[in-house]
Amino acid sequence: MKLHLDRSIKTPLYLQIESQIRQLILANDLPPGFRLPPERKLATSLGVNRTTVVNAYHELVADGLIQPHVGKGTIVSPPQPANPSLGHFSNAKAIQPISWQNFYTRQSERMHNPVLASILDEIGENDEISFALGSPAGEYYPLEEFKEISKKVMRPDNWRAFEYGPTIGHYPLRQYLADWLSQRGLHTQAQTILITSGSQQGLDLLTKIFLEPGDYIVIEEPSFLGAIGVFKAAGAHILTVPVDQEGLKTDVLEQILSRHRPKFIYTLPTFQNPSGTTMSLARRHKLLELAYQYHIPIVEDDPYSELYYENEPLPSLKSLDEFGHVIYLGTFSKILFPGLRLGWCVAPSQVLEQLSLAKQLVDLHTSTIAQWVMAEFCKQGLLDKHLPIVRNQYRLQRDAMVTALTEFAPQGLSWTIPEGGYYLWCELPPDMKAAALLTRAADKKVTFVPGNAFHVNSGGKDRIRLCFARHSETTIREGIYRLCEAISEILNQPHLRGTTNRPRFSEPLV
Amino acid sequence: MQYTYAERVNYMANSAIRELLKIAEQPQVISFAGGLPAAELFPLSEIKESYAQVLGAGDPSVLQYGTTEGYLPLREEISAQMRAKGIQTEADNIFLTNGSQQGLDLITKLFINPGDVVLLQNPSYLGAIQTFRSYQANFDTIPTNEAGIDDLALELLIKQNPPKIIYLAPTYQNPTGTTLTLKERKAVLRIASKYGIPIIEDDPYGELRYDDEALPSIRSCSTDNEVIYLGTFSKTLAPGLRLGWIVAEKSLIAKLVVAKQGTDLHTSTLLQRATHYYLTHFNAVEHIKTIRQAYKFRRDYMLTELEENFSDQAIWTKPSGGMFIWLTLPERYDTVNLLPHALAGNVAFVPGAHFFTYNGKYSSMRLNFSNPAPQQIKQGIKLLSTIVAAY
Repeated sequence: MKLHLDRSIKTPLYLQIESQIRQLILANDLPPGFRLPPERKLATSLGVNRTTVVNAYHELVADGLIQPHVGKGTIVSPPQPANPSLGHFSNAKAIQPISWQNFYTRQSERMHNPVLASILDEIGENDEISFALGSPAGEYYPLEEFKEISKKVMRPDNWRAFEYGPTIGHYPLRQYLADWLSQRGLHTQAQTILITSGSQQGLDLLTKIFLEPGDYIVIEEPSFLGAIGVFKAAGAHILTVPVDQEGLKTDVLEQILSRHRPKFIYTLPTFQNPSGTTMSLARRHKLLELAYQYHIPIVEDDPYSELYYENEPLPSLKSLDEFGHVIYLGTFSKILFPGLRLGWCVAPSQVLEQLSLAKQLVDLHTSTIAQWVMAEFCKQGLLDKHLPIVRNQYRLQRDAMVTALTEFAPQGLSWTIPEGGYYLWCELPPDMKAAALLTRAADKKVTFVPGNAFHVNSGGKDRIRLCFARHSETTIREGIYRLCEAISEILNQPHLRGTTNRPRFSEPLV
Repeated sequence: MQYTYAERVNYMANSAIRELLKIAEQPQVISFAGGLPAAELFPLSEIKESYAQVLGAGDPSVLQYGTTEGYLPLREEISAQMRAKGIQTEADNIFLTNGSQQGLDLITKLFINPGDVVLLQNPSYLGAIQTFRSYQANFDTIPTNEAGIDDLALELLIKQNPPKIIYLAPTYQNPTGTTLTLKERKAVLRIASKYGIPIIEDDPYGELRYDDEALPSIRSCSTDNEVIYLGTFSKTLAPGLRLGWIVAEKSLIAKLVVAKQGTDLHTSTLLQRATHYYLTHFNAVEHIKTIRQAYKFRRDYMLTELEENFSDQAIWTKPSGGMFIWLTLPERYDTVNLLPHALAGNVAFVPGAHFFTYNGKYSSMRLNFSNPAPQQIKQGIKLLSTIVAAY
């Protein structure tokens, strides 16, 4: 009986054993009466724990395929007589339920399930303060204005807003974005903009058109966890470049590029998620130089640059790019609200065409009505009206978080102060692990994202990401107080490192 | 800059058909080519009211991130509708998508490795074929004889070349309009079950029923989650919304959650809430009856016109639901070559070749009756018969 175990895939070994034996039995390669090897013997020959084989055999017994007999060992059972309730099956063998495990693609095995189960507890339900979800503050959503615009767009004769639309997106929205971006130095036209169902989709489509399993890509470390997940699922070989106070370290990048040919470089250069850093102008120029030199495209993810709290942000890489090397992703999610799933991608025409083709197969096009309403909302100047409000408010919230930390933080905790964006990136006191803090903090009803979620390999365990965009200054102060309490408690009682009960998050973690 | 694309991009061909059909969008062309529901039948004011209500409730969570599997009350509502159709299911078995196109994409992503075989009807839905192709699947055709699906041949085929999944649109299929009989459904299910092959049951048109009673879905006949069911609001509400659902067992839903998170996090929160409002405050059933009436009329009209103009030139299906009639001309015709002539004569259709997974010369074409107005149907069919005769 020959079994092959693949330790590189995510399927547990006992399930691999179980399903292979099952196949052999169903194919009659192990006929009824065949005696399976004793558990210990099979375990030794496969190089696994005896428990693994015990579990595999247990499953097969539960399904009636094999039967242990005292003194004789484990024997393959004869086929079951037909279950009378399955009257329409003429075959005498019992119908096995589908072993879905055997069906999933290699890609799906690789799908990154972040360190934390990605379901977020209902906020407010149990008085929990979450600094985890990277979400804008609901209080500032322009609900009324949006509702009025919706009513206006959904006038009785405007059925066009509900029909199938072009994959590339609603022209007026693309035109608005072209003008809007041009005002910010990114000169582009409607034709080179694709409307996406959020920049997550932009990342997914780019991955689809560029990445084969085993392809190299380069990302910053730490980096946006949603991107890491997509790249990992595609089977990419991820090379990382550290980030310092000036952003991505181009000297390290240069070394990497001299040795590897990555398919692209992924960067979030302004108010990075999670570190909050901004790539300096010098580094931006250097990055582009390297991209041109080595012929490597750059994927620039830019959700936060409008949320600046000090000076206006530096020009985007895309606006500095003279040779069509940069693919630019933007979104309404962080500057306005995320619930509509609406973003954009600016890319050279050839790439845009490929992305369009890929998108067509994924969801035909992004919701027509969402685009119509958003276009009208923007054209009425409501986005521009909204931005200064949230810039001001989030700055206050950032400051509230920094003030609270300054007051309550125990010795050893440090944090960055970003000039924009959503997050404070904190370093924990020596020897403290984010995972352990997570449990303690959860007891105190405060959560955050542990730093290792933003690392590809095993770093970031001593970091945590705190989002200040979502809550009021008062809530932030309270949450920081609780968090610092939790940290202090662990500092004073180091044995409280316990096992983590993973908090459940019901919204996707971004 | 020279970009190096992944191999799968070679399988994402832009249908030449799309280019040709752009011509069909011009106002003077009578188009039987689209797969469009009739826009004047969209329940616009009810949709508008639904959006206004959910936006006017003062609750910002309507524009907030949501769960990947979807808004629970909407999943509950859909599962109730499914149960009413005989599909035993709960909210936990419902997964919301950006339309059934996304359902197809996610399932294919989860199941198809390059080279895996998809077993399907030929012809089949173009969007599905393209999706499978984009994941580098191979195809096999479900064998049929004059009586329909040949179950002996089917079982033999599966034994010899086991497919990874079976794709079926058993009710008012796009493009042929045909419906699998109960016998055929049970046969496929029995064989798929026996060999442990999942079935994707794609059912966008089930509600667009004009004549007989509804046949039970394949999912409702299954006992063990062999069938993954795809539903959508595109044809009963409006297609531009992009909202559909998958019915599957929980472990598959869990995988779909992970897959969709990487794709776009979740389907629009606002859309789901507004749809839930619509379903629970307006008479969706009445609206569907209105659609049925209107489309039945157009179907009958087209059938009459076909009888008038084509009775000695072609054969065609007489669908008891859906949006399409499948017309087959005598063998000497190649409808791909015929199309430019038709367009020049201001009438459009989709040549049959685009719905088959293997190349060949086809004399069939798909005609949509849901979108054109009755007057256009009359004119267009007449035009078409003239063009065919002259070819």
